[in-house]
Amino acid sequence: MGIFNFIHLGCKKATFLLSKKEEGKLMPLEKIQLKFHLLICDFCSRFEKQTRFFTKHSGNMHTHSSTTLSEEKKEKMKDLLKD
Amino acid sequence: MEENLLAFKPDKWVGNYADALYAYTITRVKDVQQAEDIVQNTFLSAWKARDTYKGQASEKNWLYAICKNKIIDHFRKHAADMVNLSSKEEDMYFDQGDHWTGDAAPKAWSVHFQQPVESKEFYAILDQCKQKLKDIQQAVFVMKYMEDTDSEEICKVLGITTSNYWVLIHRAKLHLRKCLEKNWIGIH
Repeated sequence: MGIFNFIHLGCKKATFLLSKKEEGKLMPLEKIQLKFHLLICDFCSRFEKQTRFFTKHSGNMHTHSSTTLSEEKKEKMKDLLKD
Repeated sequence: MEENLLAFKPDKWVGNYADALYAYTITRVKDVQQAEDIVQNTFLSAWKARDTYKGQASEKNWLYAICKNKIIDHFRKHAADMVNLSSKEEDMYFDQGDHWTGDAAPKAWSVHFQQPVESKEFYAILDQCKQKLKDIQQAVFVMKYMEDTDSEEICKVLGITTSNYWVLIHRAKLHLRKCLEKNWIGIH
């Protein structure tokens, strides 16, 4: 036992807590545990950086998509918008 | 406001917005038929409500707001079919001591983390990876990261508990990260 056991986290728990951190929902002890873990664990630091990167951009997916509706489908929709 | 009213042209909606709304929807709802229905219902609802349009938002933003509501409704409607929380996933990322297993440990990515990504390939692969998630993980991911919905609202829409929510977000991120690392050559 000792201070190390008290603040020690495994990588599974650390990556789990990263989502709570994002929403500002960490308990005070979790905050310390996670901070300490990220200082010593390159893998989890990478995980944080990489997941932040792709989640931040995921909402833009449609602006890079070239999918379109068929003309047939559009004509059908136009027909529906009539009184 | 006046400008918005002058630019309000319901007879041009399909021509002007159908493709954009469809691209928006299909990246959030993976089923083609359901995405088409959402776009069609967006136009129909807007058409029926066109006399109530006061010009507070631009025509485009007004249509998108209706479409976004339809997308959340879609998840609400299908929540019961998606939720299967009893099926435990085997943990392929962590060992019994909760450390990364050799192959699953995140590798370094050569990416400019602060810059916007313009690579079409990145978005295509992200989309493919997203589609491999379980439906419920996908729904949570879409609502949280693509629709910016509050976690309380997401739990309500899907009828899940907060602790289910955190687990789903965690799994979705683990799967997506791994899938991107494996398939997106831009990072190697």
